[in-house]
Amino acid sequence: MGLRKTPAVRGAAASAAAALAAVLAIAGCSSSSTTSNSGSTGSTGSGSAPASLTVWRMGPSTASQVTWMNGVVTQFHKDYPTYASTKVNVVYVPWTSRTTDWNGALTSGKNAPDITELGNTDTPTEATAGLLANISSNVTSWTSKSDVVTGMLANDTQSGTVYAVPWFGGVRGVWYRTNQFTAAGISSPPTTWAQLITDAQKVQAKFPGTYGIGAPSNDTNAFVSFIWGAGGQVATESNGQWTADLTTPADEAAIKFYVSLYRTYHLSPSKYVGQTELGASGATSGGANEDFGLGKLDIYIDGPWASSNFPANAVGKADWASFPIPSQNGPDPAPAYAGGSDLGVFATSKYKTAAWDLIQEMDSETNATSFANLQGFFPPFTSKLTGGTYSSSQLMSGFAKAASVTQISPLNAKNWPTADTGQYLIIPTMLKALDNGADFNSTVAKANTELENVLNNGTES
Amino acid sequence: MVRTVHDQPGRGAPLPSPAGPTTQRPAQTPRQRAITWIRRHNAAPYLLLLPSVVVIGALVLWPTVQIGIFSFQNYGLPQITGALPTQWVGFANYTQILHDSEFWLSLRISLLFALVVVPLTLITGTLVGLLLSRLGPKMRTFVSSAAMLAWATPAVSASVIFVWLADPDGGIVDWTLTKLPHWLGGGAHWAGFSWTNSALPAYTLLTVLLVWTGFPFIAVTVLAGLRTIPAELHESARVDGAGGWRIFRLVTYPLLKPIFLVLLLLSIIWDFGVFTQVYIVIGELGNRDEYNLGIYEYSKAFQMPPAYGFASALAFVLTIVLLIITVGYVRASVKQGAVQ
Repeated sequence: MGLRKTPAVRGAAASAAAALAAVLAIAGCSSSSTTSNSGSTGSTGSGSAPASLTVWRMGPSTASQVTWMNGVVTQFHKDYPTYASTKVNVVYVPWTSRTTDWNGALTSGKNAPDITELGNTDTPTEATAGLLANISSNVTSWTSKSDVVTGMLANDTQSGTVYAVPWFGGVRGVWYRTNQFTAAGISSPPTTWAQLITDAQKVQAKFPGTYGIGAPSNDTNAFVSFIWGAGGQVATESNGQWTADLTTPADEAAIKFYVSLYRTYHLSPSKYVGQTELGASGATSGGANEDFGLGKLDIYIDGPWASSNFPANAVGKADWASFPIPSQNGPDPAPAYAGGSDLGVFATSKYKTAAWDLIQEMDSETNATSFANLQGFFPPFTSKLTGGTYSSSQLMSGFAKAASVTQISPLNAKNWPTADTGQYLIIPTMLKALDNGADFNSTVAKANTELENVLNNGTES
Repeated sequence: MVRTVHDQPGRGAPLPSPAGPTTQRPAQTPRQRAITWIRRHNAAPYLLLLPSVVVIGALVLWPTVQIGIFSFQNYGLPQITGALPTQWVGFANYTQILHDSEFWLSLRISLLFALVVVPLTLITGTLVGLLLSRLGPKMRTFVSSAAMLAWATPAVSASVIFVWLADPDGGIVDWTLTKLPHWLGGGAHWAGFSWTNSALPAYTLLTVLLVWTGFPFIAVTVLAGLRTIPAELHESARVDGAGGWRIFRLVTYPLLKPIFLVLLLLSIIWDFGVFTQVYIVIGELGNRDEYNLGIYEYSKAFQMPPAYGFASALAFVLTIVLLIITVGYVRASVKQGAVQ
């Protein structure tokens, strides 16, 4: 097993890089000129020891993450005596406000981090926007470089310049409870859409007061698997020009299917309309994640990392299991979006050497692996992935299967964050409108035009 | 040094009378000279205005000028970091606004919202004000303090409380609606009803929220106005046989018209430009179909990739819309004043 996503990632990143070459020629030099010249991996960084380093982590802080980070900081002080008195401040930024906060820190120069975590789909855009320092020389002399999954590092490289290093990766799958499936008379997890609906209906009927399957409208990273599982593409690129594919028969089938979970079959509650998998946008509770944890939702799409977001009083943990998102007609699963996070040095950091040294500590093979296991992710190191420890676990085996067929394009396109999470929220807005009963053809056609325009020009028009 | 001011008789403001008719006045101190200069040029009012002009100029006028400049530019993140040069784009941002369906949607939401909330707030506030004027001192203190609590609740706290009240899982609003009898519109279909998943229910909730926080100010202002009306006027109207509604329409309302005009104007400005409560209730920036004008403008300025030029043009449009309303009502009030 393993995260076999190298070809897709490499191809997409290479083409995105080509499309960006012109912009990078300008943006790249402004950021590289401020990069401190350092390739040191030892204890004597060329920069003086900073009084403090600020790390921006994404998502809600959890006790286990804080403990892990404290351990890393202790190790950092020990491994790099120069920084023995350097304080490390960790700020937890909600995913939904990350771009606003990055932007604010970059433009005002106030309260900026030295290191920031980035979603791997953000990295190409943010690198182009001048958010990240050029760390090519640091990465070249990084001892773990050769073990990093090649495609993941390629996603962080723009025109040969490295702006971030992969920290962990992961795929979404479908969460369920084995005892609920058994009670509802389901012998094996569904492998087609039709089976998924039937099974969700069975558990919903067997457990009154629960909903069968969650279909939040603002969860594109999960939704794209349905498009890919119908044999479609969200958008395709050729010669640097994007074509949106939402109006193709395969995509329309996927959109209709996803919307029908709420509108036709009433398997998903109305409050998920407009929500992310965690709840109302900006919130981290009250959504599908919490409901599954509390046993109010039977089937739920998310990555293995979701376990760290479940409420403390989550029920039935021993029965948690996973299966890959089914494709339209089976039997192979739908391709899963290969998500994950990177670590980068912030462009305005005064202590780039110290920042890179701390990244090395956080992203050492041991620390990255323990962090990944803690949160339910996969480490970005090939040697750790081939161990086979993941496929033997009841909870992880489904995700491990999902990880065998992955795709990332167009979710790493330069303008994808603008299209999906920034100003436009194109697919979430489209699904929400359809959930609320809007006309199918005109809504999808409008979204398709918007998507194509944003992917190509960065704006709707 | 001999500097004689009294060599120029008859000019300027009257000076303090000289100590004696024969003694030459002593040379003035700088302080006295400044006072003389101010009196002679009638500069006192302008000097008194100066501090506030400086503060307003620095905090309001200069930013407004800057926004005006940005609105004619292609100004975004690359221009701030210096990666790309700033370009003058003429009226391109404004044309883009007119062709933007989302602008018209958010404008429609803002207008409809103000059209509903402003009258509701004014009516509720006036009714409570009239009620307060009829209550005894103890009850008046009780009712007005209770109302002022709603007004004093910070916008963020009030919004969060309302979101909780209307929560689909165990919120008291949905619970109450399921318990209501059918003929009152209640029933099981309210169980798990989401108040935030589309514009209509979300703005219904916001209407209740803003009327709740807005009416006490109206009520207290109307009460203050009512107390300026001589009691004899109401008394003689009552003696002439007028009922409550006629007294309000023919006596109270005409006398309080200036107050109502100000309240109307303020309410329009507040409710048309409302931001905080909407931002919290609709789920920050996650629902484009529920943006009002303020949220839309904010999303353009602060969502990736920030379009400061476009957002500045939007800010100008929003300001102009409000100015038109304001000027219209100021003119109306001046005209009415002249006619009466």
